Formats: sequence, structure tokens, C-alpha cells
Amino acid sequence: MADLQEKPMTETQLRNLRRQRTKEMRLQLTGFSFMIFLTFIAFGMVALEFDPTFIMGSVMLFAFIQVVLQFYYFMHMKDKGHDFAKLFMIVGMYFAIAFCVTFIYIVWIGQPI
Amino acid sequence: MSEATAKKRGFGATIWEYMTTVDHKKIGILYLIAGGLFFAMGGIEAMLIRLQLAVPNNDFLSAGLFNEVITMHGTTMIFLAAMPLLFAFMNVIVPLQIGARDMAFPFMNALGVWLFILGGIFLNLSWFMGGAPDAGWTSYASLSIASPGHGIDFYALGLQITGAGTLMTGINFVTTIITMRAPGMTYMRMPLFTWTALVAGVLIVFAFPPLTVGLFLLIFDRMFGSNFFLVEAGGNTIIWEHLFWIFGHPEVYILILPAFGIFSEIFATFARKRLFGYSAMVFATVLIGFFGFMVWAHHMFTVGLGPTANAIFALATMAIAVPTGIKIFNWIFTIWGGSIEFTTPMMYALGFIPSFVMGGVTGIMQAVAPADYQYHDSYFIVAHFHYVIVGGVVFALLAGLHYYWPVIFGTMLSDKLGKVEFWLFFVGFHLTFLIQHFLGLWGMPRRVFTYLDGQGYNAANLISTIGALLMAAAVIVLVINIIMTVAKNQKVGRDPWGDGRTLEWSIPLPVPYYNYAQIPLVRGLDAFWIEKKEGNGKMLPAESVEDFHMPNNSIIPFVMSLGLFIASFGALYFASGKEWAIDAVADLPVKPWAFWLLVIGLAITFISMITRSFKDDLGYYVTKEEILRDLEEEERGAK
Repeated sequence: MADLQEKPMTETQLRNLRRQRTKEMRLQLTGFSFMIFLTFIAFGMVALEFDPTFIMGSVMLFAFIQVVLQFYYFMHMKDKGHDFAKLFMIVGMYFAIAFCVTFIYIVWIGQPI
Repeated sequence: MSEATAKKRGFGATIWEYMTTVDHKKIGILYLIAGGLFFAMGGIEAMLIRLQLAVPNNDFLSAGLFNEVITMHGTTMIFLAAMPLLFAFMNVIVPLQIGARDMAFPFMNALGVWLFILGGIFLNLSWFMGGAPDAGWTSYASLSIASPGHGIDFYALGLQITGAGTLMTGINFVTTIITMRAPGMTYMRMPLFTWTALVAGVLIVFAFPPLTVGLFLLIFDRMFGSNFFLVEAGGNTIIWEHLFWIFGHPEVYILILPAFGIFSEIFATFARKRLFGYSAMVFATVLIGFFGFMVWAHHMFTVGLGPTANAIFALATMAIAVPTGIKIFNWIFTIWGGSIEFTTPMMYALGFIPSFVMGGVTGIMQAVAPADYQYHDSYFIVAHFHYVIVGGVVFALLAGLHYYWPVIFGTMLSDKLGKVEFWLFFVGFHLTFLIQHFLGLWGMPRRVFTYLDGQGYNAANLISTIGALLMAAAVIVLVINIIMTVAKNQKVGRDPWGDGRTLEWSIPLPVPYYNYAQIPLVRGLDAFWIEKKEGNGKMLPAESVEDFHMPNNSIIPFVMSLGLFIASFGALYFASGKEWAIDAVADLPVKPWAFWLLVIGLAITFISMITRSFKDDLGYYVTKEEILRDLEEEERGAK
């Protein structure tokens, strides 16, 4: 069994990589605190007993924003080379929503449309 | 480590080599052998069905046995024969066609084939262990929950194992085609077989999870006391139908798209013309794949979804005829004006066009929801899907077997016997299934084990049986052809058909275990053809001769699959005789060891997964010296 052949990095490459990672880390932390903030607002709205319909709508919106942030920043979908992953997820979501809609309307509610 | 040097090896060593192999070509051969055996089993079951139905009031098979035979015929043919045989060609050809040295995940490829083989064996063991599944290949929950004995359990567990293997293989094809194409091979330069393999892979990735979910619900209901489909406990059997067809409809495209790909290659090769309307073909392939997910409820028109739902799905179904029509016309235009060579694969391809169109036309008829109420559950449906599956997929499998045989085994099947086989199969096929359209329209229901005399079904059924025997004769001719070819073992060289257009024909035969000494540079669609016409007939290398990395063999995929195989027996007998079990198995004797079998089986699988995760296996390097030696040897051989 042979070891993997790898070349050591040059000084410049190393510096660039380090700078990139610092930037990445900053973005991750910003995203993370924003998400915590959204969660805080959601909890806050419930604690202050806002109108339930309003809470439902805004919590759904927050959840959607969080999902997008999760994918783009924490799961690196914003980086290059994720076109196929993106395409697959969008198509997958489209199918999943279509399946859910049919299940709700023609399986569970049960009234033929 | 290297298998390049053609040493004589012992029988045991060969078996071990195939059990541990991660080479895509050998895995392809495993798929071909296992799929071929299951094809024979499914074929024998088909013959039993036709013999039973040959004359009225026949008692050759009992009613219960007939149900088991039709269920196993359908399940075996779809899951264990058609799909694995297509995987065989995809496995061998796709990496060669895109200029890669192996699949993206060789280990997972081996895992996929072993899961398929052991799952298939598990399903077929039901014959010897208390009766096969008998609720039809669709296994609708209202029937399957009530089916006594363990038959349905074999179905659910066996398909769960093979399904997991298929899902892995699908992911593997998508990754391989997206990431491992040779330099210069852009998406719009990929051969059409690779394109269809990519789309089929995507369909597998999206379609198999619903099946997995459905099968798990069935497994929980039958073996672990849940109530998803038990109406008396608040369950809903329609959920199974939806989940099954959300998978089931894309499944038929998973089968037919690679078949289209094989035919596209054959048409271009033997008409000696570039495929007409290549970009339209690609577009049509993707569109069929996408539409395939929007039409599943057309299998359920008579369930009572309501007129609006039926209308939506009817319309979506008819829309699929458009891209399919585009393909048919493009094939016809490819042949038109070509210098055609009538080889066996080309005969199958030419026979495929009218046969498949007939199947497609009846498909459109059934898409009309109100008319479907008339066709539903009659022999018309049986005729329709055999026209598309046999006239499309099986023709492609037989054509592909003749066409790609030299790449896989380095010899040529006899063309003369091949033509005998084609004519027997073609005539037998139409004789069997054309008359079944009329049987259906005359009112003969499907899935009946016999019919009464004097209803006007006698002659048609006898004709159908004679046709089926002709198809069996064709397969026997094929087997004789294979045995003769293997016995003669007359090796052929590079590009044995003489008109190869794509990369798989540019490599020496038998294919070296590393495929390409140097990864080729692709200068356009039909890369090899371009080099023949504009270059010196040899692919330009895209890299210098260098060491390159290859994966090590491993027995772990086999052990992992074996663990699941053992665990399945535990799950199968788990509910036997338990007080909470469903009525179907509540009266059977209690098997106290079932739980431990389940634990041991899962432990084997998890321990092998842990071993795989913690043991670093970095593969090995093929050295520059070995490549240079091989290249030199080939040069000498060529002169």
C-alpha cells in the first residue's frame, strides 16, 4: 500500500489560505449570531403573546431564512462547484412539495377534488 | 495486486477476486451474471403463467401458486433482472465512455452489487421457506397486510436490501459522470448512453427514497406491530399506493432511458452517421426524467382521486409523449440516408422502433382517464406494459449484450445465431402480446389464474402461449451462442465492429484493468470517430505517462451485505406468533431466536462499517514502468 503523494504548500499559498479561513470564520460567526437573533425574536413574540396568526407567519418566514442561511453558509452552498447540489436540492424540494400537496389533498383530507 | 498480467489462476482465487473486486468492469460482469440468472428465473415463471393460461379451466398451477408466480415474475423481472442488467452495461461502459479509470466510489459500487445479489437471493428463498409473496409486484397494502405467512415479508425485506444497493449505485453514477469526465468532454459532448445513465441515476436518487419509506412502513406494519396501513387501527392503505407509484413511475423511466441510450449508440454506429438532433435528444431525455415524477397517479385513476386530480395527471402523462416522439423521429432521421449495416444489435434497434411506438400509443390511450376505467385491470394493461418493457428494455438488453459483448469479454457473439435469436424473439414477442390487447378489450381481466370455456378467449390465449414459447426458444439460442463463444474463446482486437464512435471502442481489448494508460483528450462528440476522420485513428493523450492511483480490493462490501441478509431473517420471523402481530402471522409458531438473529446480523453490518471507517485504505499506485511496458507490448501486438 502506498501513501498518498502530496506536495507541501508554499509560504504564499499558506498565507492566502489562512486569510481565507479567517474571513470564512467571520462569516460563520455573523451568520450564527443572526440565526440566534431570529430564534430569540421568535421566542420573544410567543412570550409577549402576539397575535397567533402573525406569529405563525413570521416564524415560518424566519424558519425559511434560517434554512437558506444553513445551506449557504454552514453547508457551503455559496462556494463554487455546488451548482449540481443546488439544482438537486431545488428539484428535490419541488418534488417533495408536490408529493406533500397530493398527500394532504387526495389522501388525508380524503374529499376527491 | 495487479490483475493485468493474464496469469492462470485457480478457481478459488478467481471466486475470491470477484468477491472482493472493486473494478467497475468485474462488478459489471457480476451484475450481468446475477441479473442473467434472475432473468432466467423470471422467464421460467413467465412460461409457467403462459402454460397455465394456454387452455381454459387449466389446473396446471393452483390459484394460490399462480398468484405467487405472477408476483415473483413481476418483481424479479423489474428489480432483479431488467435494472441489474442495465447496471451491468452502465457499470462497464459509462466509465470507459467518459474516459475514467473507475467509478467515483469503487467500494460503494461493490457494496451495491452485493446488496442486490443477496437481496435477490433472499427474495427468491421465499419459494423454499413457506411460500413466495402473492400480492402482485405492486403489493398493495390492503392485499399484502392480509396475505398469510411470510411471503410478503420476503418481498419487503428483499426489496429493501436490493433497493439500498440500487440507491448507492444511482448516487455513484451521478457522481462519476459529473466529476470524472476526461478533459474536453463537456456535458454536450457526452455520448447519449452516458447522458441517459446520468438521468437514470438522478431518477434513482429521487425515486428510491419513497420506495424505501413505503417498504419500511410495510415492514413495521407486518413485523413490528405498527398501524400505518391497518384500516381498523386508523391506518390508510392508499398511502402505500401513492408511495409505491411515486417510486414506480420513475422506475419505468429508470429502465427505459438507459435502453434509449443503448439504442442511440447502436443507431449511430451501424448507420455510420452522427446521431441526428443530439441536443434535442439530450433535452428530451432530461424532460422525460422530469415529467416522470409528475404522473404517478395515472396508475391510480380508478382509486377515486376525483376528476380534477385525474385530469391533471392525465394531462401530464400525455405531455410525456412529446419528448418521446422527438426521440423516435431523431432515431429515424439518424438511420435515414445512413449506410446501414444489419448486425444483430441493429436488427434489435430497428425492431424496437415500431414495437415501442405501439406500446407508447396504448399508453396515451390509457392516459385518457375516463377511457382508463374501461382498460383498468384488463389484459390491455398487460399488453401495454409488456410492449414498452419487452419491446423497449428487453430488446435493448439483448441488443446491448451483442453490441457490448466484445468490450466486456473480449470475444464476439456469433452474428448468425444472433439473427436467429432476433427473429424468434421478435415474432414471439408480437405473437404473445399483440393478441393480449384484444383479450383485454374483449373483457379478460388480468391476474386471473384461469378462465371458462366458451367466452371467446381460448384461441387468443393459445396464440399468446405459442408466442411465449418462441421467446423462450430465442433465449435458448442466445445461451447456446454464449456457450459456443465462450468455448471458442476467439479474442478480438480494438474496435471489433469497425465503426465505433465513442471512447469505449478506442481502448485495446481485453480492456486493461486500469482502462486508460493515459486519459484521452476529447475533441468533440463521438470522440473516437473524430480521431478516425481527422487524426490518425488514435486518441490523443491528455496527460503524460505517470503513476496513477487505483483502489484496493476489499471483502468488506460482501460482509456488510451478508450482515443485512442475516438480519433480514431475524426481522422476518420476529413477529411470528407474537400476540401483537397482525393476523397473517399471529398463528405461526414463535421463533425466540429471531431477535438474536436480527441483532447479530445488524452487528456484523455495523462492525464492518466501523472497520471500513477506521482502517485507512489508501489504495495503490500503478507505476509508470508498468504502463510503459503495457503500451510497448500493445504496440508490438498491433504490428
